[in-house]
Amino acid sequence: MSFIKAGRYSRRSPIVDVAAFLLLMAALTWITGTETSKLGYNWQWYRVPQYLFSYEDGKWLAGPLIDGLIVTFEITGASFILAFSFGLISALCRLSESYMARMIARAYLELIRNTPLLVQLFFIYFVMAPIFDLGRFASAVLSLSLFEGAYASEIFRAGIVSIHKGQWEAAQSLGLSTFDTYRRVILPQAIRRILPPLTSQAISLVKDSALVSTIAVYDLTMRGREIISETFLAFEIWFTIAAIYLVVTVSLSIVAGRMERRFGEIG
Amino acid sequence: MNENVPGEPIIVVDNVFKTFPGGVCALSDFSIRVRRKEVLVVIGPSGSGKSTFLRCLNGLEEVEKGSITIDGIPLNDHKQNRLEIRKEVGMVFQSFNLFPHLTVLENLNLAQILVRKKSKGEATEFSMALLSKVGIPEKANIFPNHLSGGQQQRVAIARALAMMPKVMLFDEATSALDPEMTGEVLAVMKQLAREGMTMVVVTHEMGFAREVSDRIVFMEGGRIIEEGPVEQFFTNPREERTRLFLSQVL
Repeated sequence: MSFIKAGRYSRRSPIVDVAAFLLLMAALTWITGTETSKLGYNWQWYRVPQYLFSYEDGKWLAGPLIDGLIVTFEITGASFILAFSFGLISALCRLSESYMARMIARAYLELIRNTPLLVQLFFIYFVMAPIFDLGRFASAVLSLSLFEGAYASEIFRAGIVSIHKGQWEAAQSLGLSTFDTYRRVILPQAIRRILPPLTSQAISLVKDSALVSTIAVYDLTMRGREIISETFLAFEIWFTIAAIYLVVTVSLSIVAGRMERRFGEIG
Repeated sequence: MNENVPGEPIIVVDNVFKTFPGGVCALSDFSIRVRRKEVLVVIGPSGSGKSTFLRCLNGLEEVEKGSITIDGIPLNDHKQNRLEIRKEVGMVFQSFNLFPHLTVLENLNLAQILVRKKSKGEATEFSMALLSKVGIPEKANIFPNHLSGGQQQRVAIARALAMMPKVMLFDEATSALDPEMTGEVLAVMKQLAREGMTMVVVTHEMGFAREVSDRIVFMEGGRIIEEGPVEQFFTNPREERTRLFLSQVL
């Protein structure tokens, strides 16, 4: 895969470009600044670091925001693994020869994609959790992974059907079983192709995980709301939380970009 | 059944029908026998059903009616039978279909390990011998994309041979190649024929057909129009349609 460079058009000088951008940002900052001062908001950034880290008795301790970030990681990690499995299984079901398997996978997909995640979360937490004795964390992970799994399923399916028919024929003519063909021939090639969309799905997962704060799971967002209700540092804390999410998601895209390049060299 | 008796049929096709969705009739009451160690060349205009015939032989296409038996195993709905037949029948495709994410050696080893249950060491030893046979042992650890078309097709032949098949099918194996590379692939196929491999070859290479084949089949519209020994077929065809075809391709 290579990016097409717009050769025919002369490109703008980067200096002009950056200068124009900085000017725009300065104007926006100035407007926001004057508007906030009209609000009379009292910025207190110096109070934020204690919620990230504190230093006591010669030891660094994680503050509530970092604790929350760890919970966000746990939820996202567990959900990602489950969503990956749900996605792969339902994609294989949709491509299988069994009518029932195809129908069940289809129903799962339509059901999940056509209802709001928040409603699914509430449904699982308030309806299913008491029946099956699920905790808050389990409910959160289950609803997130079912939701993202439905989208991952379409990504997997697209990846699998994009592999040339000849690969199937070659594997089958060598006597490989369907299972081995998937495992050793089709999926290794498909994964490579779907890595970029799968990463953006993982990024969505990180962001959507903020919704679990509504069922009182103490993730990053919930911790932030808690701090704000105690301190009224709404602006500072929400800025901080947004920045933390941004760092996590941008790092994820960088890692994915690296993996893609490494795989690309082989494929 | 004694495997070493030439002349005994290894492929038996009886009254096979195959229609594609949309009503295109690919094979119509098609019957043929291929004997052990025979090299059968199938020619005909495009759309005549020759590739379909080949693909039916290892179950890549399902037949509607009729029966196919290979080395005594009937090719039917039994999954196990189909698997057995695929072990015995090697296939080489026009577009090579090598596995791009595996090295040349891994391409050859894969089925030996998964299907023939060989150890990696045994498989590698045999694979290297086959790569030497097709003349590119030095490419073992290279990915297929870095090879020329002719080299890729030779790897594909070696990969099929790695399963120690009793029959080899060639589906226009040289049609995607430059004339220059066609020669090196045909050379490997000729060598196989000399060694006594049973081969069914769909090709447009009349030179190859003339030089190597024992028998020629001319197909059109899913039927055999004419078949016969090579010399008679080329010098004195019985059918008018065959004459017309030959005058266009020769």
